[in-house]
Amino acid sequence: MSTLNVTRTRDRPPPGQVHLILPVDLRPLLGTWVNYDHTSSGIRRLHIEDWEGTPVVRVFGAALPEPIDWGEVAGAAFTAGVDAREAVAFTAVYHLEFARVMLAAYLNKRLLVVDAYTAFTDHSGRAAYFQRDHLYLP
Amino acid sequence: MKALDYVRAEDQLPKQAVPPGGQLDPALLAGTWFATDKEATGVVRLELTQRDGRLFVRAFGADQQQPNDWGEIEATAYGAKVTAVDAMAFSAMYDFGFLVTILAAYAKQGILVLDTFNTFTDSSGRSNYFSREFFHR
Repeated sequence: MSTLNVTRTRDRPPPGQVHLILPVDLRPLLGTWVNYDHTSSGIRRLHIEDWEGTPVVRVFGAALPEPIDWGEVAGAAFTAGVDAREAVAFTAVYHLEFARVMLAAYLNKRLLVVDAYTAFTDHSGRAAYFQRDHLYLP
Repeated sequence: MKALDYVRAEDQLPKQAVPPGGQLDPALLAGTWFATDKEATGVVRLELTQRDGRLFVRAFGADQQQPNDWGEIEATAYGAKVTAVDAMAFSAMYDFGFLVTILAAYAKQGILVLDTFNTFTDSSGRSNYFSREFFHR
């Protein structure tokens, strides 16, 4: 058996672990998540569905008179460790005409914590910014 | 004047606010950050450096003998809002050949919170995984 490449201790499976390529269980992420804060200026709600093992993310941004539909993007799901199978986090990147938004999200006690890293590409002079929202499954 | 594009209210400039333009000042992030967990199995140290207004990150992973130097890469800095002038968060991506690691981090009250999103590109069968780690100067 060849030696596994690692960048840190955590990359190593527990001793004796048999490596099986199994799909990640996306179920903990699936559904329509709603922002706890109705006054948030960030993400109003977020929908995640399973498309053949890939989480497909659809964001609705807070705006008046109606939330803005960002459309769907394919995301990537992550577990809690190299030997885990249940999804606990995801990333998704929106390449908008005027900005790039990376969503970096994780579950915490049934809360979905969504960090949005936004970098503007439209030369508007707006600063790249970080924003956090907390969402729940109603 | 053309209205600015946005997909959520936070993207918009406050009324009569002037966009800051230019680069965010990464001074608040710069320095050496150490894992608060002395038994950490993930990232044990982060070196954040500013050069010519740009931000660079050098991460060190926990290993048996000594920390594993991941090398230095450029990071993207983020402020707290569209009118910010100081950086308080960053993202960066390492491609190790067998693993892609996204770093997504923010600083708050003297603590740096680092999320890593790790995708294996080899055939080892390891699950892609997430980690959340805390650092102090």
